[in-house]
Amino acid sequence: MNQQEKLEAKWDVQLRKGSLELVILAALKERRLYGLELLGLLHRFETMQITEGTLYPLMDRLKRDGVVEASWHQEGQSKPRKYYQLTPLGEAKLTDLTSRWRKSVEDIEFLLCNPGPKIISPRGE
Amino acid sequence: MAERDIIHNYLKSLSKYLSRLDKADADDVIREIESHIYDVLEASESEGRSFDAAAVLAGFGEPRELAAQYVDHMLDGTPPPEGFKAIQRVKRGATKGLYYAMEIFGYGLSLILMIVGVYKAFSPDDVGVWASASGESIIVGVSSQPPGHTDELLGWWLVPIAFGLAFGGAYLTKRILGVLKERL
Repeated sequence: MNQQEKLEAKWDVQLRKGSLELVILAALKERRLYGLELLGLLHRFETMQITEGTLYPLMDRLKRDGVVEASWHQEGQSKPRKYYQLTPLGEAKLTDLTSRWRKSVEDIEFLLCNPGPKIISPRGE
Repeated sequence: MAERDIIHNYLKSLSKYLSRLDKADADDVIREIESHIYDVLEASESEGRSFDAAAVLAGFGEPRELAAQYVDHMLDGTPPPEGFKAIQRVKRGATKGLYYAMEIFGYGLSLILMIVGVYKAFSPDDVGVWASASGESIIVGVSSQPPGHTDELLGWWLVPIAFGLAFGGAYLTKRILGVLKERL
């Protein structure tokens, strides 16, 4: 792994720490998924490469927080699987976190697009 | 070791580390992880790929660490057991006692050593470390009459040694008090 890749991997880990809950809630928006499916979905994205050891305890915590609900289902000939879906509380939290996320991205973008030396103010202020 | 044995041993170990949880909670965790592992195994077999149990389990991490993540948040907010507050109170009281005892002992000893060092500088014949001729006892102190049949051991070296020990002792006391203060 070269320096550039190391930097990117470190950044991804730091960003995930704060945004993983939003990522999970977004992944479950209007979907009902079991653990392996959810992990497979996240692994399609370059910056969301989390491990099983991160996902499952987090899902359990989200369940205890009341933002997701879990239930065992058996479909066809397959083994029973534990499926997760958002609760109304989870949907409301997703709406709140989404607007905060978009606000953060907007603020960072504004700073990136307005370099110094002049001191700037956010739009509308 | 067969792949299924590796999985079995992992789940057994995880179960052991989850034993602090309710049995129903622990069983649910084990069941879900087992389901995930066998889903991966079935997917590998149906796609004609070889299944590497160790690689899948590596994704979950060590059983102890995985269990700790569940235990931490599951027991978070659980009311403390009866009598726990009293234990906490006794613990805080004991720490407080230890804190002040350490403060008096540590700084007191450092102060005495400094006085010995200063005294030796001004009155070298009255202060010293003496050993009896037979080597059975050592006397450290201030005395206008040096103990009989003894040799003084350190001479002027007592001054830097006493100061060194005094400063070292004071520093060590400060560090220990810093740690104890966090627990008060």
